[in-house]
Amino acid sequence: MTGPEALKAAYIVTWVVLLGYLGTLLGRFRKVREEMKDLKRNP
Amino acid sequence: MKQLFIAFIVLTLGLLAYSTYQALYVAPTEQTMGDVQRIFYYHVPSAWTAGVCFLVNFLASVVYLWKRNTASDALAAASAEVGMTFCTIVLITGPIWARPVWGIWWTWDARLTTTLVLWLIYVSYLMLRRFSAGGQTQVLAAALAIFGFVDVPIVYMSIRWFRTQHPSPVMGGGENSGLDPVMLQAFFWNLLSFTCVGIVLMVLRYRLQRLEENVEAKHAAVALQGGSR
Repeated sequence: MTGPEALKAAYIVTWVVLLGYLGTLLGRFRKVREEMKDLKRNP
Repeated sequence: MKQLFIAFIVLTLGLLAYSTYQALYVAPTEQTMGDVQRIFYYHVPSAWTAGVCFLVNFLASVVYLWKRNTASDALAAASAEVGMTFCTIVLITGPIWARPVWGIWWTWDARLTTTLVLWLIYVSYLMLRRFSAGGQTQVLAAALAIFGFVDVPIVYMSIRWFRTQHPSPVMGGGENSGLDPVMLQAFFWNLLSFTCVGIVLMVLRYRLQRLEENVEAKHAAVALQGGSR
């Protein structure tokens, strides 16, 4: 792995990990909100 | 409050764009390593943010054991998860940087090993929270967080206490340490932007934790109502 390849890989990996985590959080938010709605509809 | 948080997210995105520009285009190329040294501007701020998150986790755990309030437990859970995410970035970007510079991906020196141990401690913490059944989960998690945090200063001091493959401290490491002023400026912009990303993620994760607790409480209430009929 050359220097420029390593630099590119490190920056891409950082963004992939951060965006992946953010995506997971948003998915969990959506799931919880749906559960909340279900609970309100069928208490 | 919501508008303030949205404004903070916009500010963080702006900071991220500017700090990445500083790291890639403004900071001068390091003479020995070349462009690969620019990994420093993501690697070190990620480690810093992980440390800040673990400190929040430690303080929230102490407050939880003292006051037993669910808000501090939720903050502890949120900060541990976000800290582990940043620690993961450190453990991936480090070897990517090491390969072209040292010729190896990994070595069991004090800094790398203690960082891996730190990551494993917080993986255990999150697994304990996720899979432990019974009413003592939060107390056990808080106790583990307090003991686990001991590794944070060890990671920080490891390059001062031991002779390591990992470089000596760039700042505050004695007479021969220090950074070029333009590099230092790029570094501080990235430190600031990564800290803000950490705060945004912690706030989001904290809100999620509170919502999940709310849903669990409602499910429990529904189950109780069903049982009493």
